Amino acid sequence: MTINLDKNENPYLPDDNVLKAAVKGLEVLNRYSKLKYLNELKKLLGKYNHVSSDRIILSHGSDLLLREIINIFSKDRKIIMVSPSFFPIAQYALKQAVQLTKIQLSPPDFTLNSDLLLAQLNEPALIIIDNPNNPTGKILLDDYLVEKILQNKNALLLVDEAYYEFSGQTFANMIEKYSNITITRTMDKAFSLAGLRFGYLLMGDYFKNHFLDFPSYIATPTLLAAIEALNKPEYMNLNVNKILYEKKRLAKELLKIGIQIFSGNANFILVKTKIPDFARKLKENGVRIKDLSEEWAQGFYRISIGLPEENDTLMLNLNKMNIDG
Amino acid sequence: MKKIGLIVNPIAGMGGSVGLKGTDGETYKKAIKLGAKPTTPQRIEETLALIKRKDLYFVVAPGKMGEDFIKKFDFKYEIVSSIGKTTSADDTKRIIKEMVNKNIELLIFVGGDGTARDVYDVLGLTIPVVGIPSGVKMFSPVFALSTYAAAEIINNESEKFIEKEVLDIDEEAFREGKLGAKLYGYLKVPRNEELLQGKKEPSNLSKPEEISKKEIAQYILENIEKDTLYILGPGTTLATIAYNMGIKKTLLGIDAIFNGQLVGTDLNEKGLLALIKKFNKTKIIVTPIGGNGFIFGRASKQFTPEVLKLIDRTNIIVVATEDKISRLECLRVDTGDAKIDNNLRGPVTVITGYKTETIIEVK
Repeated sequence: MTINLDKNENPYLPDDNVLKAAVKGLEVLNRYSKLKYLNELKKLLGKYNHVSSDRIILSHGSDLLLREIINIFSKDRKIIMVSPSFFPIAQYALKQAVQLTKIQLSPPDFTLNSDLLLAQLNEPALIIIDNPNNPTGKILLDDYLVEKILQNKNALLLVDEAYYEFSGQTFANMIEKYSNITITRTMDKAFSLAGLRFGYLLMGDYFKNHFLDFPSYIATPTLLAAIEALNKPEYMNLNVNKILYEKKRLAKELLKIGIQIFSGNANFILVKTKIPDFARKLKENGVRIKDLSEEWAQGFYRISIGLPEENDTLMLNLNKMNIDG
Repeated sequence: MKKIGLIVNPIAGMGGSVGLKGTDGETYKKAIKLGAKPTTPQRIEETLALIKRKDLYFVVAPGKMGEDFIKKFDFKYEIVSSIGKTTSADDTKRIIKEMVNKNIELLIFVGGDGTARDVYDVLGLTIPVVGIPSGVKMFSPVFALSTYAAAEIINNESEKFIEKEVLDIDEEAFREGKLGAKLYGYLKVPRNEELLQGKKEPSNLSKPEEISKKEIAQYILENIEKDTLYILGPGTTLATIAYNMGIKKTLLGIDAIFNGQLVGTDLNEKGLLALIKKFNKTKIIVTPIGGNGFIFGRASKQFTPEVLKLIDRTNIIVVATEDKISRLECLRVDTGDAKIDNNLRGPVTVITGYKTETIIEVK
């Protein structure tokens, strides 16, 4: 059996009730999804995020929303991103942007130089930042910097909070106050719904006005599963805690055998090692991790946190390897 | 059938185990005396064992330069040329020339930086290569990351190529613990497409190198200032910029342009100083070395502290393709003058395409 630690998935299945809800959705596959379910889900998301439900847009996957925002708002303004960041979106921005500025994050701390970012805001800009960052797991923004950005009339800020439930940090409380902020979220990670792909957008007024006619067609199994999952967020919280506990344990173990780690604030650990073919050797032993050499830099790997026994298997394999730094 | 050349430097890598840092020149004999064993056989055999393609026809160097290894496998092949008991760089070059005459479409070579330079001397950017690292020094980014990676590149050979640097490391200095390198040339390497497929997160290398270079060149051309001396460092990106201005630039040298005219080629420190003093305003355009990110102090030693002292930091333009820059942790300088280095440190904006830039730290 392959152990998949390469896609930042949740190793735990959703709660039984959520699985049952999805199956219930399958029983009406010949019908389009009902508006009342859409509205119910928006209401629950509003409650979960403490925002009014008319500030929420639903989508099959938050990356579709990220792409849409790039499409709409990058025509007459430059895009500012950090590098590395969530690769499909970095790639899409590179393709679509009329003008693009990337700010490179450097090891060992991968922090964002806020002065550099603010200095870029002398012309209209769409700033896209994943927070925590993928693949470093680093928290890049704080309240002070976000408010500084939002007070600048040239700035539109998109924060990708795909890993919010793991980091505990959100800027959702700013969307009533500032019109120029929007936040993407997903239920694929913490809520274990990757196979159903569900993401949503929290919008300040400026964004809201551009999304009035955005079609929210969500498949019924996804709708019903998401509703059920939000009805009982304790189950998700429990899993998040288990994953974070395992992450600490794994980080310690990795350090013990001399692998350089960047622990971060999500459900994965970034590691750096000179062991050649590190990911391939693990794959041969049935453990998949993410090799970042193709998308980013040589020697960097991202390991998603798995079940305790999966993490044990990973460590067992690593202990067999000759770790020489 | 696809014709592939295979040549092995049988002595590359022997210095490493006995701490000699390379086997260029006479050091090889010393390595043998110290009991050095070749690392090459293992490397090439690992790679050959992983090659799954059946449509390959190998054109192989004789004996320990190739034949001895391939005959253990089930490939179709022919031997070219002959060699004596000991082999040298001349053998490598001579045999590659014969392979070119046999119309090889790709060359696999096994060796270190020295071997890569020999390959470059014969091939330049004509025929693509796959370099299997087996030297003591493999600083040249041209090498595949591992024997496995080399086999993958051959198995999934792409029609897309990228140019990778061949470096000339000063072995004498290296033995003394110093690292001095200059850019020697470029070789054409197939892109490993397999690694891009079937992944949730595709590569950010969506922009082909050539397009990236042309975009950079276009952007520079549109923003070029009149009555300003432009000094262009080595590299294919800089050559593309010059080409876009209608000027043929030396690939590895430093050239200067003023109001659309070439005013200096292959300049050394003296030549650079004279030009900078002659003109009122000067800008330098450079590109970092792939892999390590050096903009000054490695590929272009001609940019000495004396030269850089005369150029304000704001007049240094750094350009790099998206692919190259996204792989760097930072840019680096090592001019030999701590004060100049400090001046150059801090964030710098690198032009990576048309109106596309990356702000990155110089360390």
